[in-house]
Amino acid sequence: MGSILSTFGSLAIGGIVASATIVGVVSSQTSSSGESPANVNQPVIQYGTEG
Amino acid sequence: MSDWRAWVPRAWSLALALLLLGPALGPGFLLTYDMVWVPDLAVRPDVWGVGSGLPRAVPSDAVVAVLDEVVPGALLQKVVLLAALVGGGLGARRLVPGESLASQLVAVSVYQWNPYVTERLLLGHWPVLVGYAVLPWVLLAGRRWRETGTLPASLLVLAPLGCLSVSAGLATAVAVLAAAAGGRRTLPALGIVLVANLPWLVTGALHAADARTDAAGAELFALGPDGALPPPLAALVLGGVWNGEVVLPSRDGVLAWLGLLLLVALAAVGTRTWLRATPRRDAVALLVCWTVGLSLALLTWAAPGAVGWLAENVPGVGVVRDGSRLLVLCAPLVAVLAGCGAAALLRRVRDLGPRLVLAGALVVSPVTLLPDAALGLSGRLDPTTYPASYAAARDAVDDAGPGDVLALPLSSYRQPSWNHDRKVLDPLPRHLPRDVVASDELVVSDVTVAGEDPRVREAAAALDAGTLVERAARLADLGIGVIAVDRLAPGPSLSIEGRVLLDSEELLVVELDGARERPVPTSWVVATAVAWALWAASSFAAIGLAVTRRRRGRGTPDGRSPRPT
Repeated sequence: MGSILSTFGSLAIGGIVASATIVGVVSSQTSSSGESPANVNQPVIQYGTEG
Repeated sequence: MSDWRAWVPRAWSLALALLLLGPALGPGFLLTYDMVWVPDLAVRPDVWGVGSGLPRAVPSDAVVAVLDEVVPGALLQKVVLLAALVGGGLGARRLVPGESLASQLVAVSVYQWNPYVTERLLLGHWPVLVGYAVLPWVLLAGRRWRETGTLPASLLVLAPLGCLSVSAGLATAVAVLAAAAGGRRTLPALGIVLVANLPWLVTGALHAADARTDAAGAELFALGPDGALPPPLAALVLGGVWNGEVVLPSRDGVLAWLGLLLLVALAAVGTRTWLRATPRRDAVALLVCWTVGLSLALLTWAAPGAVGWLAENVPGVGVVRDGSRLLVLCAPLVAVLAGCGAAALLRRVRDLGPRLVLAGALVVSPVTLLPDAALGLSGRLDPTTYPASYAAARDAVDDAGPGDVLALPLSSYRQPSWNHDRKVLDPLPRHLPRDVVASDELVVSDVTVAGEDPRVREAAAALDAGTLVERAARLADLGIGVIAVDRLAPGPSLSIEGRVLLDSEELLVVELDGARERPVPTSWVVATAVAWALWAASSFAAIGLAVTRRRRGRGTPDGRSPRPT
């Protein structure tokens, strides 16, 4: 019984992780970039913005 | 371990590195924030650290300037980035005790695919990533030194390689001492650390009068949140870079919390396994590194005022103001505990099938939880090609009269359309064959962090002079013989009296009359030459040591190395 449960449990975990990896990678590659476009009107290009 | 089992982690490490870098490995140069590579970096005085500004790119620039005489800059950049990722992952794998393939693969995944790697890569801190790659190997070499009583030749190469920047040098020094110090090894270990860091130590000392940094930087560059994770928790997963622009979007959501929970759980489960399987001295080395890295990072977050005061008043302390950069020291233990945690979990699953599935899930979990790191950080690592005018500017400056170059406008960063509108440190200075006076002022969240180079301030004052002729004369007095203007950069347009050498869409190069050569004091030249000679000698000593030992090994009857004395 425990063996069957662990088999199904690990299959579920594996399936979720594999699906999440594929969905995550694909969606992150197809969504628009999070980086702000250039603002050419600003007098100085900033090194960065505090997190 | 059989051959195929040894090759699996190597193949996995290479696959992860290729997936992470993706388009960055394509033709052209990857230019992102502080990462500026050019076709041929000139071997000029400031790459050795005797320019007028603080030697921030010592020794990395000199190493690149020499190596790109042999290997083209674009190819060298890709080799360095790929080798840094793969080297780090494979080093972390060797730190994991036991023979479990799954635990080694998990350690490789955690070491190569985490916020520290993605954020430092996007910020362009490639010398930091080289130090990150070297760190596990330094710890392994230190272990071998303790076990055999013989100094490993590899440590004489690894230590200088891990010290290509100031912060990487400090981290490597901590790792060398944590792994090797004790008994008769302490003094030689200190010597190795000192020599490995000598180029920036000596040239920094020559600039000691200017080596006090603006206190404002301490607050801005302190350990920060990593997307959804507040600073102390961000540090546990090697995140918390000060610059929110380089934090990947997935860090803002639930994946960041899941990643934290998984890593903490694996570490909790794996700690007992790790302590049982690891000699006490090895465990101490990793714990010392983790504690030092985390403490310094948390210090910048908890007490930025104190760090700022120290940076402003004690020369050289400014190097620790970038808090999360020091988390490099935490990475080896984090990866090892994750690997041990995976091994401990897998031992509890008896059946082969479920165990394989769970192992696979744990190995890919770092990718699952940070999916937008794939394919060049979701396309943020796009290489580019320089406009032809950059090569023309190099030729024009080469043919100009005496004097250094002043890069205008006086601002540090650019966001040119030819670089996909991505931010990068002004790449023009590295293109030119002479020393360049360029702004070292930083603007973060609308706060300006003052630079340290006194010559930049003098040049700015000269540019404020009344007439065009007066401006040119004052600049020439400062030893400025050429003005190079980036026309695509925002900033005030300036007129200066001089002879136009290049007038293109992107760049304007003007030659000034009457410039004086900036003399470099002989004492500076001698001190710098000695520092560099010792630094380079370390690598030659390693080769000599290795060859000598090999010969002696062949000379013994059983072909083994003689026992250490």
